[in-house]
Amino acid sequence: MMHAFESIQLAQLAFPTEMSTSVLAPYLFVSAAMFCIGLVGFLTRKNMIIMFLCTELMFQAAGLALIAFGRHHLGADGQTFVIFVLCIAAAEAAMALALVVLLFRHRESLSASAWKELNG
Amino acid sequence: MMTASLLNNLLAPLAMLAPGSSGSDEPASAHLAHMTEHVGTGPKWILLIVFLPLLGFVFNAIYAASGNKSKLPAWTTIALLAVAFLATLSMFLSYDGTPYTVHAFDWFNLHYGEKSFVANFSFYIDKLTILWMLFVTGLATLIALYASEYMSHDIGTGYCRFFSAFGLFVFSMSCLVMGDNMLMLYLGWEGVGLCSYLLIGYFYKKPSAVAAAKKAFIVNRIGDLGLALGIYLTFVHFGTVEYAALFSNETLHHYIDAAVAGDFSAIPSEAQWIAMLLMVGAFGKSAQFPLYVWLPDAMEGPTPVSALIHAATMVTAGVYLIARFYPLFLVSENALPIVAWIGTITALLAATIGMAQFDIKRIMAYSTVSQLGYMFAGLGLLSTTGAAFHVLTHAFFKALLFLACGAVMHGFAGQLDLRKLSGVSWMKGWGIVGITMLIGCMNLAGLPYITSGFYSKDMILAEAFVTPGYRLMGWVLVFTAIMTAYYTFRVFFRVFLGDQHAEPGEDFHGDDTNDFHPHAPGWAINTVLITLAACSMLAIALAWIDKSAYHGWVGSMVADSTASFHSPYAVSLAAAHGEGNPAAVAGPVGYGAPGKVLGMDPHGGMIVVSGLGAIFGVLVAAFFHGPKGWQGLFLGGRTQADKCRMDAIAKRAGPIPRWAENKWFVDEFYAMVFVTPLRVVSHIFHWIDKLLLDGLVNLFGFLPRVLAWIIRPSQSGVLQGYAVSMAGGLAVLLLVVIVIVLRAGGAA
Amino acid sequence: MNLDSLMLIILIFFPVVAALWIAFSKNADNAYRTALIASLVLLLPALKLLDRFDFAKGDVPQFGYSISWIDSLGLNFSIGMDSISLLLILLSVLLGPIVVAASKSAITKDRRMYYAWLMVLQGAMVGVFAAQDLLLFYICFEFTLLPMFVLIRKFGSTNRVAASIKFFLYTFTGSMLTLAAMVYVVWFVAQPDQFGAWTLDIPTLTKYAWHMSISEQTWVLLGLLAGFAVKVPLFPFHTWLPLAHTEAPTAGSVILAAVLLKLGTYGIYRFAIPLAPEAFFAYAPHIAILSIIGIIYAGLICWVQTDIKKLVAYSSVSHLGFAVLGLAALNVTGFSGSILYMLSHGLSTGGLFLMIGFMYERYHTRDMNTVGGLASKMPIWATFMVFFAMASVGLPGLNGFPSEVLCLISAFQSDAAWTAAGEPGAWGSSLGPWFAVFAGTGMVIAAMYLLYMVGKICFGPLKEPEGHHDHETLPTDLNFREIMTLAPLALGCIYFGLQPTVLFDTVSDQVNATVRIVEQANGLESAEPRIMHDTPAVDDIYSNDNGHEGASHD
Repeated sequence: MMHAFESIQLAQLAFPTEMSTSVLAPYLFVSAAMFCIGLVGFLTRKNMIIMFLCTELMFQAAGLALIAFGRHHLGADGQTFVIFVLCIAAAEAAMALALVVLLFRHRESLSASAWKELNG
Repeated sequence: MMTASLLNNLLAPLAMLAPGSSGSDEPASAHLAHMTEHVGTGPKWILLIVFLPLLGFVFNAIYAASGNKSKLPAWTTIALLAVAFLATLSMFLSYDGTPYTVHAFDWFNLHYGEKSFVANFSFYIDKLTILWMLFVTGLATLIALYASEYMSHDIGTGYCRFFSAFGLFVFSMSCLVMGDNMLMLYLGWEGVGLCSYLLIGYFYKKPSAVAAAKKAFIVNRIGDLGLALGIYLTFVHFGTVEYAALFSNETLHHYIDAAVAGDFSAIPSEAQWIAMLLMVGAFGKSAQFPLYVWLPDAMEGPTPVSALIHAATMVTAGVYLIARFYPLFLVSENALPIVAWIGTITALLAATIGMAQFDIKRIMAYSTVSQLGYMFAGLGLLSTTGAAFHVLTHAFFKALLFLACGAVMHGFAGQLDLRKLSGVSWMKGWGIVGITMLIGCMNLAGLPYITSGFYSKDMILAEAFVTPGYRLMGWVLVFTAIMTAYYTFRVFFRVFLGDQHAEPGEDFHGDDTNDFHPHAPGWAINTVLITLAACSMLAIALAWIDKSAYHGWVGSMVADSTASFHSPYAVSLAAAHGEGNPAAVAGPVGYGAPGKVLGMDPHGGMIVVSGLGAIFGVLVAAFFHGPKGWQGLFLGGRTQADKCRMDAIAKRAGPIPRWAENKWFVDEFYAMVFVTPLRVVSHIFHWIDKLLLDGLVNLFGFLPRVLAWIIRPSQSGVLQGYAVSMAGGLAVLLLVVIVIVLRAGGAA
Repeated sequence: MNLDSLMLIILIFFPVVAALWIAFSKNADNAYRTALIASLVLLLPALKLLDRFDFAKGDVPQFGYSISWIDSLGLNFSIGMDSISLLLILLSVLLGPIVVAASKSAITKDRRMYYAWLMVLQGAMVGVFAAQDLLLFYICFEFTLLPMFVLIRKFGSTNRVAASIKFFLYTFTGSMLTLAAMVYVVWFVAQPDQFGAWTLDIPTLTKYAWHMSISEQTWVLLGLLAGFAVKVPLFPFHTWLPLAHTEAPTAGSVILAAVLLKLGTYGIYRFAIPLAPEAFFAYAPHIAILSIIGIIYAGLICWVQTDIKKLVAYSSVSHLGFAVLGLAALNVTGFSGSILYMLSHGLSTGGLFLMIGFMYERYHTRDMNTVGGLASKMPIWATFMVFFAMASVGLPGLNGFPSEVLCLISAFQSDAAWTAAGEPGAWGSSLGPWFAVFAGTGMVIAAMYLLYMVGKICFGPLKEPEGHHDHETLPTDLNFREIMTLAPLALGCIYFGLQPTVLFDTVSDQVNATVRIVEQANGLESAEPRIMHDTPAVDDIYSNDNGHEGASHD
């Protein structure tokens, strides 16, 4: 814990000035693009594994934006959040894939449209 | 019409009592003030009178729980009641003229600020209390003795129940009469109502008995509501419900003085309303029009109950109530005239119904209602003495009559129809019943000079004739007296005289119908009948004791209580005798010359009229119902039990006798006008509750459901659908934020 | 924390512990015995508290205990009891063993669940009455719903699902508004010109709440009444009650009638009146009219019922109208009568529900057209039935009478003009004789429907449902256990009937204090100061374990 904190401080010492907006923009652009790709993929594909990958893509897009902003503002918050997100994403991946496997066993299909019991 | 005459007469009895001629300068309320000035504390043994009957209740409840199958309950009750009677007697003998209270325990004791609401479980003893307690405990003892034999069929089943309710009744009646505050009176009032309910419904398997019991309680409750409101109003107005404090209240004294002076405008209407409300209670309990309908039905109960509760004691509670709160009635402009007229109407109405009945117990019931009407007339005519005297004599002779009828009912397996019985007096073992019945009938009919009933009724009739503006009432009451004599002797001539004939009733106790033998009453019943007959006759003497001073012994009792007020008659008597009347301490009561009846002093004239009327009634009864020969005074012509000369007349009279027999359809009228509409309203309320109110609640519960139903399709169950709406939502949110930011930027 | 406070805490939490014990015990057969013993044991601390209670200071919460809960919100777990809490807590605790014993033969399956929830209910009821903290009160108030919901839902008769849902949702919806009103009062008192800090301490809130403007008070009153009037229930918010009563198991009906309905009147007395005194004073006639409509309307509905339990349920609506009428009179007689009514109604109606339960166990019907005339078959049962019916009718000498008399007198004499004229404490709001007259007809109607009931069910020829055969385990008439459940109630009826003064004296100080609050707020303060106990500093009342400063600065 202590160690991580110190290394962040060191990192800040290495980049003592704020990142300029022009440098920030490409990062954000890439992040937005990743998010859109993930979103479109999520909305259009029915294969549950692909959809799950798309959500991961959106996660990482958010993470990238967070790190970029963190660097921009010289704060540690962004990086901290990203570490949380990564942890959760990993746990989620384990859970979600297990669920997908279970669902597949029930219907012999990976299509999300095979499951609509929750309609009103 | 009636209201008009009432209004005309409103002031009549009191206005003529205005101070003037006699010239004394004592205010009218002085007697009351004097009476209640020093209320002492009495000895604790007085409590025995109240609590011994309660002990009887407790013992009998224990017997009932332990399944007693002997006459022990009866003997316990008789013994305890006898001791209570003796205690009452010694209370009477040791009374020294000063009212006193005896405290049992605290009951209501609520203090707030400077004020308090106090009503303790304590007892107020003055001569009115003593008078009532003497005959209540005395008659209760006698009737318990009678019941020990009468109820013996029910040993092991309802015997204990009967006597426990009996004990509870006497306890409640004692509380009613002896209580030292209005709430105690109310406790007794409802208590006797409960016992009446339980005892009327004694044969609880019989639906008619259950219905009668219910009717009695509910009709009484209507009266009780009036009484309760009267009590509350008394408390709110005078700040107390305790007799000692109430009657020594100076405001009340001022009111009385104002009332006697005829100045009712000086009395706030609140104070005048008290009497109007209390009156309703009295009408309920004493079965006065329009609340009399429960009493005839109450005859479903065992006969000792009818005798004790529904003839001698409980139904006189209304008379006691008015007598006790006489000062409150005096200060009300309308109360006493209404009481008088209601009493008169009741007397007449009940007598007309009584003439047409065939059930001898019901005839007696209607005669009770009718006689109670006399008592109320007496109260309304300012003769508390007359009312109280009539209560006393009536208690004896009506109990006697009921018990004699009960003996017949007991002996003839529940037969009460006078068309199915004849010549009972001549049957073996029935002589005593016949003779005592004759004595009772003579008293009820009021045969002149030789009966106590004559003297007491006479006192009330006289009052009507000497009170200006009330002569009409006097004539109505005399007419009623003739009818009374007729229907009383109708029973006697038909059931007790003539050829012997008897059909048994339905309550057959095991014997074969063909082999029916009436079983003659045993020693207990005979003893009680003889005692009561003797009492009825001996009560004549009471009219002569203290005659000049107090207008009889009862007068002396009443004069020493809150019921004491100077009746015009007493004044006229005193004036006629030229004596100072000690009862006149009630005030300087002036009295104008009374009118004349038949050219005589109204009192003397009235004696002639009512005496002749009674004899006339008896002769009419003899003519129409009497058997052939001397038993029918050589007037009658009846040879069979179920045929008489009246039948022919009744046929010609069209539907009227049938209407009278059906009690002028008053019950049906009440059912149609009050009960049925109320039931309909109740059903409507029930439906409103179910449909409207609960419907609204359900509607509110239903609304969210409708909303959900509307938006339900949005839940498609397709994962991408949710994702699209989520993304769309996000996009909209973003747009909104961007617009806001841009605007803010623009504004800046 | 001294020993007495501990007793009070035991009264609240011991039943919960017992409930857990029952719920997790292995053997369901022991559930009844454990519950009975636990509820009997609870009588000991209750009696101890009765013994230790200082009646001379009845208006002051005693045995106080306070521990900080959420400091920043001023939220404490603080309990204590004044004279009124004492009486209602005693009633709740006394009913415990009675309802447990009455359930022995009625509940045959899921016994652990049943008795566990019954015990939880016990604790929650004591908690409501002991709470000296607004939120604690509210939490316990709502918490009583849950056990009751389970009892009806799980152990009720045929229509139990609908009944339990209606019961829960109706009362819960009402109390949401109550919560909103309470929060507003707390917010108001926290304003700098008032107390100036967040507090939920009821005495402190009472001290400042009447500074609210009349329109604020009106809204607060409406909010508070939304919950309490449903609970009472006041006409026209009563429709959940007949259903819930009819479907609930016997023990549930008894507790519902005897204690849970009193939460409504208690709430009105404890919160609606002191927190919004001016608004309550202004709307007292309206509230009284609703209560009178309830008395007559529900009474008449009783008269046409054939379901005996529904009849008694509606009679509760009618009867509690008197209690609310007494409260609306806003004078000492009214409050005393109303509090007495809460207790006496608990005894007599509780008794009636027990009677019906015992009959139902034997005949499995509540329809008076199929069963009747039981006096010849069950004389002991019939005797008790008549007794409780008479207590309910308001026969003098039994418990219903003193309370009814006082409620009616209070309405009769209630006239604010008198108070203004310097009659201290006596006269209250502006009702008047007509209110008493109309409410008084309730007396006659009560006689009508109760005698109708007694006449049908007890008297007349014996009528039994077709194919009826006697219960396998129960005797024809009441057994010893059943008589023992009724005896305390019957004795209580007689005792309250003959010694109402004991109760008047007990609540006298509290009632006077409340009347004084109303008078002060409405500028009707009496000319002469009455003998009052000064409101003590909180430190004196509570033994603060956590050094919490409390609300002693004013």
